[in-house]
Parts: sequence; C-alpha cells; structure tokens
Amino acid sequence: MTTIDNLISELEHVAENPREAVADYLSKTGSKAVGVAPVYTPEELVHAAGMLPVGIWGGQNVTLDLAKQYFPAFCNSVVFTCMELALKGTYNQLSAAIIPGMDDTLICLGQNWKAAIKDIPFITLVYPQNRKLSAGVKYLVSELENVKKELEKVCGKEISEEAIFNSIDIYNEHRKTMREFVELAAKHPNSINNVQRSHIIKSAYFMLKEEHTQKVKLINDELKKLPEEKYDGHKIITTGFILDSKEILEIMESNALRIVGDDIAHETRQFRTDVPRKENALLSIATQWSEIEGCSFAYDPFRIRGKMVAKLAKDRDAEGVVFALLKFCDTEEYDAPILLDDIHDAGLKAVTIEIDQESGSIEQIRTRLQTFAEML
Amino acid sequence: MYTMGLDFGSTASKGVVLKDGKEIVCTAIITSGTGTSGPERVKEKLLTESNLLESDMEAVVVTGYGRMTYQGAKKQISELSCHAKGVHFLVPDVGTVIDIGGQDIKALLLDKNGNLSNFVMNDKCAAGTGRFLDVMAGVLETEVSMLGEISMMSKSPVNISSTCTVFAESEVISHLSAGVNKEDIIAGIHISVAGRVAALAKRVGIKDKVVMVGGVAKNIGVVKAMEDALGKNIEVPKLAQLTGALGAALFAFEALNK
Repeated sequence: MTTIDNLISELEHVAENPREAVADYLSKTGSKAVGVAPVYTPEELVHAAGMLPVGIWGGQNVTLDLAKQYFPAFCNSVVFTCMELALKGTYNQLSAAIIPGMDDTLICLGQNWKAAIKDIPFITLVYPQNRKLSAGVKYLVSELENVKKELEKVCGKEISEEAIFNSIDIYNEHRKTMREFVELAAKHPNSINNVQRSHIIKSAYFMLKEEHTQKVKLINDELKKLPEEKYDGHKIITTGFILDSKEILEIMESNALRIVGDDIAHETRQFRTDVPRKENALLSIATQWSEIEGCSFAYDPFRIRGKMVAKLAKDRDAEGVVFALLKFCDTEEYDAPILLDDIHDAGLKAVTIEIDQESGSIEQIRTRLQTFAEML
Repeated sequence: MYTMGLDFGSTASKGVVLKDGKEIVCTAIITSGTGTSGPERVKEKLLTESNLLESDMEAVVVTGYGRMTYQGAKKQISELSCHAKGVHFLVPDVGTVIDIGGQDIKALLLDKNGNLSNFVMNDKCAAGTGRFLDVMAGVLETEVSMLGEISMMSKSPVNISSTCTVFAESEVISHLSAGVNKEDIIAGIHISVAGRVAALAKRVGIKDKVVMVGGVAKNIGVVKAMEDALGKNIEVPKLAQLTGALGAALFAFEALNK
C-alpha cells in the first residue's frame, strides 16, 4: 500500500469502528468523552476541558425498538437511532452529552434523553435564531457559560480562557485543513472516491482534532504531489443533513457519480465557518453562529443556501446536485422547494433521495440515482 | 436487426421485441413480477410468439425493479429512462409522463427531444400505487380490473384519505359498514389516488401532452380522476403497460448503433 492508501485506510478504520477509537482514547489518556449531538456544538469547550468530543449522529440499519416509547413514528431517523443507541447502552463510553435544541425534534431528543438516559447527563444548549443581533450573540454567550459550567462538573476542573482559545486555534486549523482536503479531493476524483471522502470526514468525530488534522495534512500533501485528474463520469455536489451510508455512496460509485463538493450538515458545514477571534473565548464561539450561512438550522431570511450550492457546483465543475433529504426532518424539508428551484435556475440538474438510517432498503434510491446519472 | 426490451416490475413482467429500432414485432405481459417465474416466462412467450430464437436478438436491455438481478441482458437501464424513451416513441410530442406501477408512482418531464429533464418518485409508501388499488379491490370483493368500469357509475363519490393505505382501508370498511354504494366508494378511492399522484406530478411540472402509462393507466376511473385533478386531457397509449419494455428495446437498438 502507498502512503496515501495507508493514511486513508487508518481513518476509514476509525470511521467504521468509533467505539474502538473512543475506547483507545479513554485507555490511553484516562480522560473522559462527551457526546456532541447534531447540528453544531461548542466542541472547543469539551476539548479545552481535556475530554474527547464524540459525534453522535445515529447509525445505519439500527432496528428501532426502545426509542419508539419516546418518539412518534414520523420522526427523523438520526434522532430516533441516537435515542435507540443511547437506550441500548451503545453510548456508555460517554460521560455527558451536549444536545443543542436547534429544532423541535432535537429539543425533544434532549428532553427525552434527560428523562431516560440517567447515566449520561444531558447538557442543554439553545441556539438563538435571532443570531445576527447583538442580543442573540449575548444570549448564546450565556448559554455557553452554562455549558462550560456543566462540563467543568464532568471533568472536575475549571476550563481556563487560555485553554479555550488554544482549542479554538486547534479547531480552526482543523477546519482549514478539511476545507483544503475537500478541494484537493475534488481535483483528484480518481484518487479519492465517495466512500473514502466520507470516511475521512467522519473519522474526525471520533478523534482529537489535532491528531485528525495531522493525518489529513499528510493526505493533502500526498494529493498535492499528484497532477489534477479528469474524471470519466459525472461530478456532483451533495446537500442535506447526513450522507454517510456506505451502500448509498457505493450506488453513486457504480453509476459514475463522484462527489466533488458538499453542503452536508454532517460534513462540510462543520468546517465551513471558522470561529473568529473576539475579546473573550465564549464570545468568539458565539459569534461563529452569527456567521454561519446556508444552513437550514440557522435562520436566514434571504434563503441563500441554494445559491451557495449552485455556486459550489459551478466552482467545482459539477453537473448536478444530489439532495440527501433526511426523511421526516421538517427543517430540511422546508428548505427543499427554494433550494431545488435555485439549483434548477442555475442550469443544474438535481435529484432528491430520501435518507432513512433505520431502513436497509435502498432499491428506490438506486433507481433515483441511476436515473439521475442517465439523465446527466 | 432484432432487439429485446424486458421490464421486470414488482407485480408484472413485460417484454417487447423490436425490429430495426422501429417496428414492434411482438409484446408480452405476464402478471408475475421480479423474484417469480415471470421474467423467464415473458422471455419465452416473446420468442414463441415471434418465432424467433434468443440468438436472433442482437441486444437485450432489461429495466424495472428486477433489473439488477437479471443476468441475460447486455445492459440494465432504470425504468424512468426507459418509460421516457418508450413514451416518446409512441407519442413524440409528449411533455409529462405519469407512470403508476405496482409500488411506485413516477412523474417524468421530457424536453422537446424526448430527453428526460426532471423526475420525481413517491416515497416508500403504497398510497396511490397499484398496490393501493389491489388492497382496496380486496376489501371491496371486486376484481381490480373491474374498478374503473364500476366507478363510472358513481353519482356521489365519497371522500377517502390519500395519506396512507392502511388508514384508507379502514375508511373504506367504515363506508361499507355504513351501506355506501360500492361505485361511490371506488370513485372516492380513484379521486384519492389522483389527488396524491397529481400533487407529485405538479412538483415536476405539467407540460402538454400529458401521457399516463403503467398498469394503473388501464383503469379509466383513475385516468378520469387524474384529468379532473390536473385540469388536462390525458393520453393513454395502447401499450401503456409496455412503455418501459419498449424503451429498453429502443435503448438496446441505440447501443448497437453507437
């Protein structure tokens, strides 16, 4: 195996074996891990407390049983599977979980978690939707102060201002490295396939960011050595909440649809916006929320997401857009009509596929993606 | 030069043999779909009725839900692309195609050259599909093939939910229990199907001519209800159930000439 293959394989292993990665961290450091639920969480505070932030975004093909006591049938599968995995003890490596109330369903996840998962304390965090007003930023600072206090109880020590600023720097460096990676992956579509791209991004949820940055920088260095590649298929952009199903990504592969950019909440939206430097650390983190653009969970009266996706497609020379719509996620569903109109108005073709982590049946998705590829 | 198109759906297997990409030599439909003996039987039926041998087929293209598992074809192509191709062959000025099959509803938008420019499909729910009508026919102790004819006698269709097959079934049972005429219940079911399909079709855009295909297109009650829901005339080709297989045979011919 070449250097780049080894690096990719290492991160793929982490992405496919998160429990092993977290267990490894816990045994090596003797520290703790804290769950961070969708969509955005102040991971920097967990990191500054000397703990590992672990992404909890549900899981594929999880059979729902216990979680049905807590949610109605028409509830998105990420929240459903998160609850199921928590109830079944899959998250028992975590010492706490930050669950931001970013929409009605996530608010319910936090409330149900508090009621049902007694051994993993729930840390609440409410993001203001009036996020561009100074009062909104001020409110978020007060919310972050509460998160910080709760995390201090978990780690048993005070989280210093200096430590938070240091973590902000580490996270911004990671964001920069990941932005560079997705750009390089787009220029080398024959070297980085859809599954590898997804795994490299996903592995960051189960590693310390400075370690992940180091690995991805090495991948980037290897990619920079290669000449730009021409892809003998269709280059596409993805948008949506989550698209980490290996089966779906492989269907794209088999239809010569290669992802060259994304606007996925679980992927690029996590590292698209840096935390700006402000007079204090919590204000810095709070200000980032007011600067996030093109996300269905961040109120935007101008609805620029579709235009951003269309621009990304043009910049990356993509022919079309795959909208991975999380089934029963009303926050994403409300965005769909305007998003798709803007994409079509830009002269791009688009297809919507429905993401349901609970279901193993993907034949309809296969038909949609194959037809989309044939249409391109 | 002969080419064969095979369409293995969830409830039926369909096939077309085409000569020189222009002349339909033979068609066959077996009412057993993928995973049954239907796929093999429809192929045998085509060869028997056309007096041709498998070796006479220069190319075979397969489509439909069972396309991934069938080994004897040169290529597999999605049923949406095949329906677009097949309908354009039969109705060259088609704009929108509505296909209601056994478990899928599809609406296709074609450009003036017959190329597929956009499409939508139903989500994983039987409401509005052929399966929905099968379930309703069972509750009403009626052959599904008779639903269209019976519904034309309705004077006062009932209101049936279009949200869910299971809910709709219990509504139908309630109406039966209340002594409502079967024709009014069936007409209500057709309006319910049309409402759901029309909403889906409007998402992709309604462009003249509107053509309806798939097994449910044989049901005159659904077609009429769809015309009312869309406010448009709908053309149903004679080979409405075979347009997927026809498109596959046309793709097979094109593949040979590339």
